[in-house]
Amino acid sequence: MFDLRLSPEQLEIRDTVRDFVTREIRPVALASARLEAFDRPLLTGLLEEASRMGLRTLALSEDAGGAGADALTRCIVTEELAAGDPDIAAILAHTAALAPLLEGTPFLPPFLEDDGFHLAITDCNAAQGMLEGVAAGVANATIAKLFVVRTGSGALLVPRETKGVAVREQPGDWYHGSCGEVTFSNCRVPAANSIAAVGTIASVLPAISLGIGRAAYEAALEYARIRVQGGKPIIEHQAIAAKLERIAISLEIARAAVWRAAWASDHPEAIADRSLPDLSLQAVAEAYAPQAMLAAAKDAAECFGAMGVMRDMPLHKYVRDARICLHS
Amino acid sequence: MDFELSDEQRRWQAKARKFATEDIRPVSLARDAIEDPAKTWDWDLFTKGSKLGFRTMAVPKQWGGEGTDFVTQALVMAELAKADSAISKSFSQCWKWSHLIAQSCTDEQKARFLKPFLADDTFVLGKGISEYDAGSDNRLPPDDPRAGLKLKAERRGDEWILNGSKAYIANGNIGKLFFIDARTNPNVPLKQGITMFLVPRDTPGFRSGKVFNKSGWRFYQNGEMIFENARVPHANVVGEVNGATRKSGGSGGDTTGGDLFGDLELAANALGICDDACESALKHARETKLFDRQLVQLKVNRMHALTEALRSFVLRVAWEHDKRIHSPNPGLAMNLSTDVVQEVTEIYMELVGGTPHADKLVRDAFIWSHLAGDTVQRLKTARRL
Repeated sequence: MFDLRLSPEQLEIRDTVRDFVTREIRPVALASARLEAFDRPLLTGLLEEASRMGLRTLALSEDAGGAGADALTRCIVTEELAAGDPDIAAILAHTAALAPLLEGTPFLPPFLEDDGFHLAITDCNAAQGMLEGVAAGVANATIAKLFVVRTGSGALLVPRETKGVAVREQPGDWYHGSCGEVTFSNCRVPAANSIAAVGTIASVLPAISLGIGRAAYEAALEYARIRVQGGKPIIEHQAIAAKLERIAISLEIARAAVWRAAWASDHPEAIADRSLPDLSLQAVAEAYAPQAMLAAAKDAAECFGAMGVMRDMPLHKYVRDARICLHS
Repeated sequence: MDFELSDEQRRWQAKARKFATEDIRPVSLARDAIEDPAKTWDWDLFTKGSKLGFRTMAVPKQWGGEGTDFVTQALVMAELAKADSAISKSFSQCWKWSHLIAQSCTDEQKARFLKPFLADDTFVLGKGISEYDAGSDNRLPPDDPRAGLKLKAERRGDEWILNGSKAYIANGNIGKLFFIDARTNPNVPLKQGITMFLVPRDTPGFRSGKVFNKSGWRFYQNGEMIFENARVPHANVVGEVNGATRKSGGSGGDTTGGDLFGDLELAANALGICDDACESALKHARETKLFDRQLVQLKVNRMHALTEALRSFVLRVAWEHDKRIHSPNPGLAMNLSTDVVQEVTEIYMELVGGTPHADKLVRDAFIWSHLAGDTVQRLKTARRL
């Protein structure tokens, strides 16, 4: 049994998110003035709107108020969001992945009620109920209202306002979404906030590079059909057609790798029954997709000539965003 | 076979290294980080470089310039680019068109334009070919007369009246003198219907438009140029009417400095970026002890191998220029420099991460994609083989 069909629910959510990204996110996220600005503040209004669509609570069980989405579905959603704004995609991907840890805890109701309630995960040493330590490069750090802190033996849920928690935004902008340094000093967390040890959380982050690569590809394809040089639309020149072909191929291979890794995490039994190799498919996806998508974004930008490096056009941002996926 | 540099070549190289290290590098990242694309230029720095001879070094000695050879020019471009690629280009852009003046202008035109160029440290040159709807079509013109640049020039007595616009023109908003390609016969294929004009900044009817906001090479400004009944004297025609492509930019048979120099220029500039990336990578690897790792050694090896191969090719092309040997090598070196500078800078970023310095180098290197390594530039070179 080898089945690559998506379920009706997966197809529906893909269409819904794609429509939202096309109508709501892209016109704002890719407006010339925003592209040109060095500082691109987070589009918090759109982030909340995406949350109201259920994208923040996607992976929660239906009993807990979510959609019970598996890792593959989250990959699909993340790719769609990243085609509009990798920042929104990254933040929602992190929060959605962690949300199931709140099930059965008192933090679930406030999490469900507040569309701006985000989550982050980090590690810290704990001794006698006290957290002490500094964690750098924590995704969602500046926006999280609750931290999942792995302490080695187990994990603690630590609200942002807990005494002894300090967050500092990571300097520069070499990340997608939110990133920062979290310091715990003399931070006492009640034993009631303990949860069981956190197992492997399926990362859907390589899907961000897929969304960026696809956006770049679609832009180049559209342009190549209308831009006339050398007496015909440039897509009719072998040199450009071959470039677009190379992008399309790498996009398909990258998506296959990312989806396969997600499917593997959704079907842990598939290694035991010898359907899948005993190999980290997650590592395969993480190694392949970002580098292939950077090459794809660069190829796409080249189809635009000088416009491929102009800051009022999206291409330079696709290249940079793809590079951030690869080198962060 | 002789790889040794002359004393004079070494003197220029040392002078460029000193200026690059002491004056360019300290301001490079800050200039790049200026958000307004029209404010990145630094006249103090440029004037200082001009006084050291870096603006006029390609002007022949009999016209009062430094008369350096191509090997020297390549060495200087690489040294300056090692500190900042865009600033190096700001100087060499003036050489590119001083080659053109020296080779293609009449003595009367040289007297009128080279003298003020030499006398004024802020006299910057530019050339306008590209337009919004004509990029690749200017480089590889199809036979259809409708293809290619559209800026129109019509003769009226002793003057030509120019109407239209140019886009993405280097130094377009700060230059004092431009070589402008304009359509003087719209009914024939591009190659037979364009004329090159010398257009000074104060030409009535000419003005600068927007400054383009580039992701790389931010110091080096590209502007829009607008011509509304701009009046240019007939005495400013370079070469023959309808003969512009025979003077520069024509695929294959270039007879002037502009095109001949341009390919070498991009390759030599890329070499400077590679030198910066190699040196910075090695320093980082040694300081952080990462150099103990095999994967890091292999990356550093790859960066250096590519860079040294490019250096050999760049200097060979420069040497061939000095010997007046015509070959497809300048085009090949320029195309290759795109691949080299992009791979070397991407590896550098793999090693150090998204630091402001690595970020600048990859953005600067990506400029090569549309100038030096796009498919049209590669096809053009292939057709010279």
